[in-house]
Amino acid sequence: MLRKISFAILSVAILVTGVIALRKLNYLDSSIWVFKLSSDKESERRIGHGFGEGAGRGRSEGFERSTRPGERPERPPMRELPDSIRGRFAGRGRGQGMRERNFTDSLRHEFPPEFRERGERIPPSGDFRNHNGRGRGDFREGRKINLSNVLWFLAVFASLTVITIYIDKAIKLICRKKKSRQSQ
Amino acid sequence: MIIMNSFKFILSLCITIVMLLLMDPRSFYGISFHEWAGLIIGLFFILHKILNWNWIKKVTLGFFRKCPGKARFNYLLDILMLAGITLMILSGIAIARTINFSWLNLGGTRMFWRAMHTSSSFITLALFGIHLGLHWNWVLQRLKLKKSDNAEEN
Repeated sequence: MLRKISFAILSVAILVTGVIALRKLNYLDSSIWVFKLSSDKESERRIGHGFGEGAGRGRSEGFERSTRPGERPERPPMRELPDSIRGRFAGRGRGQGMRERNFTDSLRHEFPPEFRERGERIPPSGDFRNHNGRGRGDFREGRKINLSNVLWFLAVFASLTVITIYIDKAIKLICRKKKSRQSQ
Repeated sequence: MIIMNSFKFILSLCITIVMLLLMDPRSFYGISFHEWAGLIIGLFFILHKILNWNWIKKVTLGFFRKCPGKARFNYLLDILMLAGITLMILSGIAIARTINFSWLNLGGTRMFWRAMHTSSSFITLALFGIHLGLHWNWVLQRLKLKKSDNAEEN
């Protein structure tokens, strides 16, 4: 009996965590994002503000929403910004602008001198980032592994498993009762 | 038989752990791990199906005749999972950044493939949870927490 009660408490705890995780991850909205996207496009096309057929991959990508529904646009952490930008934020509200402050820009050390001196942009290396790329989702060396989001996904996964186990048990119980009634 | 069941169990455990790690590309060794592990999980899934080929064959042949309702439901769930994983890998290939798949020329906008990737992975994870729930007795038997009552579980 004690074992059953402890299992029931554990199951309720998993279910509650699962519901919290569903909200935190915006799970339902993300699950139907692709269906929403197609219906949005359909309505846009009807109104006449859509990208239209044959607008081309490049153009439509310019309008791309880079975040999942309900997810805030990702900003890089403050410590990963170059010194000059970091300084601009730090100087805000203290009457000190960018021009008044003299910063050493850590990014300059990475740029080849010919680009730095002429004030040119670094040419793009290509369409695909290499394994040292610094795009969204890249893992930089020295960064800690953060599994908090994975744990929320685990909570959703576990809660669905628990729900299925109990539904399966309930169905088995109903079938057994039906059989016993029929045999009587 | 025992070795085979243990192998199936370890493979299923690996698929579950990798799938959970893949749900957030930023959390575990970044996008390159995400892309390679995503491709490898597809192979694991195919291996999982090959190992349970006898069950698939049996249910396919008897789906409309003598087949328990649970087996039918499991079969339909497996089809949905297969579709989900296929879409997940296909959309992952379309938006891959560290592995160059541009030669496949899948077409469509990046936004569409990203939405497809997110939606299919979220739905497939939910299906994984249901699948595990339906095979919970088998898991308990492998962990020796429950005695094997029949051989209905694959």
